[in-house]
Amino acid sequence: MIDILFAQAILYQTLKLVPALLFASLGELVAEKSGVLNLGVEGLLLMGAFTAYDVTALTGQPLIGIVAAMAACGILGLVFSFFAVSLRVNQVVIGLGLWLFGLGLSDTLFRAFFASGAAPNVPVIGDMHIPILSTIPLIGRGIFQQNPIVFISIACIPIIDLFLKKTSLGVKIRAVGENPRAAETMGVDVYKIRYVAVLIGAVFAGAGGAYYTTSMLSTFILNVTFGRGFIALALIYFAKWKPYRVLLPLLVFSFVDALQIGAQGVGVPIKYFFLNMIPYLTIIALIPILGRRAVAPAALMQPYKKSE
Amino acid sequence: MGLGIALALRAGVWNVGAEGQYIVGSVMAVMAAVYLTSIPPPLRIVLMLVAGAGGGLAWMIVPAVLKAKFGANEIVVTLLLNLVASSFLLYALDGPIRGKESFGYLITDLLPADLRIPKLIPETRLGFGFIIALGLVVVFYVLSERTSFGVQVRTVGQNLQAARYAGINPAKIWLVTLLLSGAMAGLAGAIHVSGVIFALDPGYPSGYGYIAIVVAMLGGTSVIGTTIAAVVISYFVVGAESMQSAAGVPFALVYTIEGIILFSLAAAQYLMGRRKIVT
Repeated sequence: MIDILFAQAILYQTLKLVPALLFASLGELVAEKSGVLNLGVEGLLLMGAFTAYDVTALTGQPLIGIVAAMAACGILGLVFSFFAVSLRVNQVVIGLGLWLFGLGLSDTLFRAFFASGAAPNVPVIGDMHIPILSTIPLIGRGIFQQNPIVFISIACIPIIDLFLKKTSLGVKIRAVGENPRAAETMGVDVYKIRYVAVLIGAVFAGAGGAYYTTSMLSTFILNVTFGRGFIALALIYFAKWKPYRVLLPLLVFSFVDALQIGAQGVGVPIKYFFLNMIPYLTIIALIPILGRRAVAPAALMQPYKKSE
Repeated sequence: MGLGIALALRAGVWNVGAEGQYIVGSVMAVMAAVYLTSIPPPLRIVLMLVAGAGGGLAWMIVPAVLKAKFGANEIVVTLLLNLVASSFLLYALDGPIRGKESFGYLITDLLPADLRIPKLIPETRLGFGFIIALGLVVVFYVLSERTSFGVQVRTVGQNLQAARYAGINPAKIWLVTLLLSGAMAGLAGAIHVSGVIFALDPGYPSGYGYIAIVVAMLGGTSVIGTTIAAVVISYFVVGAESMQSAAGVPFALVYTIEGIILFSLAAAQYLMGRRKIVT
């Protein structure tokens, strides 16, 4: 009986961990498809998490908090694009810069706005309750009594896939990421498309960050995302830049993470910093299996200079 | 540390994991200090530095092998290992190197005076570590400018295809440069802990590993350029840190400032009209 309850809790937790990473991965995937590697996703997640918390605390409305987080990250995304696209600065350097910036600023602002101990718990997006179905043993709690954002984020997978394949903007993004020179010859404004792609990525990261403070927790803590932005980068690599393939490695990661959190909750006699390492080590161990023959967009990380 | 990254960058590979190797190097140095009690202090300092370099190198083995064998993206792997390194630091602070006078805090004892790298000028941070760094500058200069290994590294970085035709095995070059780079970062950690701050606590990771990447880039991945860039940027960083302690600026703000430094240096590089050296 205990085992079933534990399995039930792990399933619930695994799915519950999905949205933040999925939003971040899908958004970053769009940016990378245009040839821009934004290593600063982690910084965006943190700023998104803080902004959502702050605005929700002010308005009492988590939805407004989420929108504000997406807007704030969008602005940061534009700043990043200015450096990465217009100034053609090395993307790894400013990506790391954006991460450190977000890591420091989110915590600094949090301390500045909320005196220690006075940070209120904000209202969160609660789990939905579907009667009858949610009482199904094992899967009922995990699927039918789950946070609605889990399903919204999963629904974004086909949306992003169709966007990249079928819409004119999506096709332009891919063209710019594979061969910017050819795309420009076809009359595509390379800079504009890259700005848009990075913006989409940043707004998604904002939604992912917001999920931490307005769905999982109801408060903000230093480095709340704990490197999940970098996991998102690894997931895109595993997925070989295909939206549908993000889900499987993401579920593996979330499952290990949920087990690890569960183990800490049950009081397994292993120090928490060992348990914390496990999800990351799992991802690294997956690389020889899943990461083979990964083909990145041809122009990834390559700044493009407009021909006059 | 910048030198190691510069060398790897020349071969066209990114060591974004310097931060992790730096942390592990520092921890290994302290472990050597705490556990090798049978060895007299002056010799033990040398062993601490060796342990630091070994720790950094060991931390680099997995990403280097994954890169050389499977072509795995070294940026992702090294970044992930940085996160693991912070957990490793907490583990070490909680167990093997926890100080006897830590009173339940996660902190090591201060290194005794005879286990510290001697100062060149008293009351400053300028220590013998600086001499070691200068010595390594010479070694790296000779290695990259005067040996066939240096030529091979540059060929792999600039034109992979040409390197293959010339019979150079790129995987081997990546492996060696990444491992060397890891060892340098580990050594840097060992020097910092035994020459500057003398103790470890959870707040020890300070982003030097990331700043070193910018150092190597700004220096145009050349040995001399990197050295100049390292001295200039150290000046900024020490400035940011003293501001923190003098003006009571919160710790996290230092990250923000470092982030802004990265952005402004990148912009400065653009304004100076310098072409990008590495892809």
